[in-house]
This record gives sequence, structure tokens and C-alpha cells, in this order.
Amino acid sequence: MKQNYIYSPALATGFKCKVPLKDACQLFIVNGKVQGGISPFVLDLKDGENLSETLQLISVRNEQHLGDLEYSEAFHFGKNSRGKVVMCSHTFSLDDFVTRENVNIILESGARAEFVVMQNEHNKAIHNAKFSIKMADHACLTLVFLSLHGGEINNTVTVDMNGEYSECNLGGLYLTDSTQLMNNTIDLNHFVPNCKSNQLFKGILDDNGITRFFGRINVAPGAQKTEAFQANHNLLISDKAKAYSKPQLEIYADDVKCSHGATVGRLNEMELFYMRTRGIPSAEARLLQQMAFAYEVLEKISNEELRERMQSLVEKRLRGEFSQCKNCSKNCC
Amino acid sequence: MLTIKDLHASIGDKEILRGINLSVNEGEVHAIMGPNGSGKSTLSAVLAGRESYTVTSGEVIYEGKNLLELTPEERSWAGIFLGFQYPIEIPGVSNVNFIKAAVNEHRKQKGLPALSAAEFLKLMRERMAYVEMDSSFSSRGVNVGFSGGEKKRNEIFQMAMLEPKLAILDETDSGLDVDALRIVATGVNKMRRPDNATIVITHYQRLLDYIVPDVIHILYKGKIIKTAGKELALEIEKKGYDWLINE
Ligand SMILES: Nc1ncnc2c1ncn2[C@@H]1O[C@H](COP(=O)(O)OP(=O)(O)OP(=O)(O)O)[C@@H](O)[C@H]1O
Ligand SMILES: [Mg+2]
Repeated sequence: MKQNYIYSPALATGFKCKVPLKDACQLFIVNGKVQGGISPFVLDLKDGENLSETLQLISVRNEQHLGDLEYSEAFHFGKNSRGKVVMCSHTFSLDDFVTRENVNIILESGARAEFVVMQNEHNKAIHNAKFSIKMADHACLTLVFLSLHGGEINNTVTVDMNGEYSECNLGGLYLTDSTQLMNNTIDLNHFVPNCKSNQLFKGILDDNGITRFFGRINVAPGAQKTEAFQANHNLLISDKAKAYSKPQLEIYADDVKCSHGATVGRLNEMELFYMRTRGIPSAEARLLQQMAFAYEVLEKISNEELRERMQSLVEKRLRGEFSQCKNCSKNCC
Repeated sequence: MLTIKDLHASIGDKEILRGINLSVNEGEVHAIMGPNGSGKSTLSAVLAGRESYTVTSGEVIYEGKNLLELTPEERSWAGIFLGFQYPIEIPGVSNVNFIKAAVNEHRKQKGLPALSAAEFLKLMRERMAYVEMDSSFSSRGVNVGFSGGEKKRNEIFQMAMLEPKLAILDETDSGLDVDALRIVATGVNKMRRPDNATIVITHYQRLLDYIVPDVIHILYKGKIIKTAGKELALEIEKKGYDWLINE
């Protein structure tokens, strides 16, 4: 894998990015160009290869390329290979960016991959991320989106489960305020029997934020013993925020376990009162509740260090503080 | 310490408290008894500052301050503690983080620094022992999946952590088995000091065998209809409330 690019310590020092701290290998993509390597980015893991370090791709946009930008990243996980990837996207200037990112992920038989996608841009940036995923038999994928900040974020995910006994675990946490817009569109295709999928998308909406969740589960004829679950829960902090949720199940097999559920709610008043009677101030009590709500998604991140880092970013974001990683020298949002 | 004068409170347009007068001094234990629905929990919620109840008239003076002007958290900082009849479950917030946030907030209000992890752990262990609570409860969500009795122990544990001046314990004995009742009551007694006070709300004499009250008040339809010494509980145990209501 290391042949694909040259680690760029100069950039790393400039960013001082500490996500995800220790065991990561960082690679920068500036305005769609892989730094010290070949564009577009390709990760090709051989059969049985095990990515020892977490690969962190840090995509940055700055004033050197204004307007629209399109780039892609491809990940090929050979048979029984393993790897963890963190993808961060940031904007380093407050221009009107429109970004189209196309991500292709292929998991061969028995491959296991975990992706954490952290989107932390600014209020005028539009980021469209399109994930096309193909999974062979016995493959296992976890993909977690943390949409922390952005004017408009559109995540479109298509998963084709093409081989039996594969497992797909999707998570999403989206946080909006001001007039931010965040949409998640999921198309999950169970083409063959004996696969499992699980989707958990949660949103916390403040101010005039708007979010949409479109989740389609398609169980093809003959895809028996499919287990497909989907949940979308939204917490409205303000009266003006709007969360739309549209689950869609298309099931053409009869021996399956499928469920979906969607809720839009507010903070629980009795819980708040209980916390306040213990001396926890109202604002702090609200934050604790929101963190508890968010944690269910963060829990899907297996790397503890990364999870804690993300948790603190989410907390800062919910506190209305500037969400950047500790020690980071740049303004990520 | 606490003086309640002609307190009226309602929910919606339903008046629940209809003129309560009560005075509690330092070092005292008051018991409030009364039939179901008479307003005992409402009184405790109003004292703790629950916003869904509207105080329509009357006043509550606590340590020289108008209690009704304070937010629930301010009341907690001022030393008021409510042990809930039905403790609330908070999924996703661990018991330890919850109580740590509460303790450190109290310290902050007193101008004290937050406890170090080790100090906090030591204090927590010590106070969990007051109610013989297992340490495995600390990592679980607040009250989530706790049995009725475990929730009540957790209330008293929280009380032990916060060391209130005035504790209002709403039916802390209900749902406790015989041993747990003794343990919880012993825990409460351990915290008694000449400068704090306790109001226990209960239906049963047996709690009052352990936490011996100075006075017992009978609340009925939002009013205190009788105040007497601890023997009253025994009489109620035998005769019920009818004779008092008819008086
Ligand atoms: N939210 C509410 N809406 C309408 N009525 C309410 C509400 N909360 C309480 N009440 C009513 O107020 C009255 C007093 O209730 P409260 O819970 O204070 O009684 P209590 O004395 O604590 O009873 P118990 O011994 O059963 O615990 C009851 O008639 C109850 O139904
Ligand atoms: Mg009650």
C-alpha cells in the first residue's frame, strides 16, 4: 500500500491533525490531488493482506481551487484482507465550494473493512459524497458517517450484497444548525440469501436545520434468510428544525427478518428535570442527553481512541464551540 | 429552615395543593402521610421546582430565600434533594458520569475544584457502601433496567453523594424488601446531622420505625388535615384515614 504515495510530513506538521492519534498513517488529498502520490487515490489490498495501521485520508479544499471539484477514491479489499480507513473532509477557506466525491469500495470474499467518514466543512460548502459498495460472500463492512458541519451534505450510499453470508453495518450521525441541510440516501440491495444489514442513522437538529433520510432496503427474489434492519431517529432541539424520514422496504422473498423504524422527537422533559434536581444545569443536562443520543452511533467505531476523539468533537459541536481536533492548527469548519 | 405558607398549586386548571402550611427546622424529621392522590408527590415536585406545576398563591421560604424563584438546579445547589417516588431512567448516560457531573457542579457552585478521578472513585465507593450498592451499577445507564428496589437505593446513594441540607424522600420505602428497607433507612440515618432535615413521605409505619419522625402530617385533598407525634402512624396503620377525614 505504501507504494501508492509518499507520506508528507511537511503537510502533516502544518495540519497537526491528531485524528486518530497513534496508529494512523495519514495521507492528504488537497483539492482532489493526492499529495506525494498518484491521483485518483487507489487502495488495493492483496488477498489476505492486513492493513496494520489505520489509513487516514484527509481531504482538504482551499482557496487555490474555487467552485466545483470532483474526485474519486477507490478501495479494493482482496480476499480475506482487513483494513480500517478514516476519511476526513475539511475546508480551509470560507469559499463557496461544491465537492463531488465518488467512493468505490469493493470487498472480496471474506474481506473485512471499517470506514469512518468525518465531514467537517463550513456553512457555504456543499459536499456530495457518493459511495458505491460491492460485497462478496462472507465480507463484512462497517461504514459510519459523522456529518458534523457543512452547508449542505448529501451522502448517497448504494450497497450491493452480491455474496452470501456478508454483513453490512451502516451508521450515521448528522448535526445541523443555522440553515444547514444534510441528506442521507441509502440503497441497500440484498441480492443473495443469508446476508445481514443494519442501518442506524441519527440526527440532532438545531435552528433551521433540515435533514432527510431516504432508506431503501431491497430484498431480491430468492434472497431468503435475509436480516435487514433500519432505524432513523431525530432529535429536534429547536421548533424550526425539520427532519424528514422516508424508509422504504421492498421485499420479494418470504423467509426474511426485516424492520424499519423512524422517530422524530424532542428532549425528554422528565429526564431533564431529574438531572436538574441533582444540580446539573439545564444546558449541561441537555448536552448529556444529546451525547447519550449520539453515542449509539459513535459506539460503532471500534477503535477506542478514534471513538473518544470523535465523541469529543461531537460534544464540542453540540456545545456550539468550534469543532476542530485538539492541537489542530487549521480551521476545519 | 423551610417555611411553607398557604401554598396553592395546580396543573392545568386542576388545583392539587389547596393551602399547605408547614414549617421544618434544622435537625428535624417530618413524615407526610395521606391517601393516594392527596398531593404528596405534587408537594415534593413543587419544592424541587418542577415547571409543569403552577404555584397560584402562597410562599415557600428556604433558609431566608424565596425558594419558588429558584430553578431546580439552584435549589439542588442550595441543599434541597428530592428522592423520587418513581426515579427516572436516562438511557445512554451512565450512573457514574451522571453523579460525577452532579457532584462537580455542586463543587463548582461552592468554588471548589472538580474532584480528581481517584478522589471521586473513593467517595463513590464509600457512599455506595452506605446503601450496600454493588459497583456494577455505576457503569449502567441511570436507573435503566434497575429493579424497583435498586432504583430507590440509587436515590439514596445520590443523596449520600450530594449531602443535602433538606432531603425530601418520596416513598423511598415502596418497593423495598425487608432487608433493603433496613439498609436504606440506616443509610438515611447515617446522614442525619443536627443541621440538616428530612421530610419522608410514606404510607407505612414500618419505615418510621427506622427513621423516627418528630412530627407526622396527614395530607388530604391538598391540605394538611392533621399534625401529630409519631404515635399517629400506628393509629393510621390500625384504623386507616377515614376517622381523620371525618373529623
Ligand atoms: N399531570 C397531571 N395531570 C392531571 N392530574 C395530575 C397530574 N399530576 C398529578 N395529578 C393529580 O394530582 C393528584 C395528586 O397526585 P400526587 O401524585 O401528588 O398524589 P400522591 O399523594 O403522591 O399519591 P400517591 O400516594 O399515590 O403517590 C392526583 O389526583 C393526580 O391524579
Ligand atoms: Mg406520590
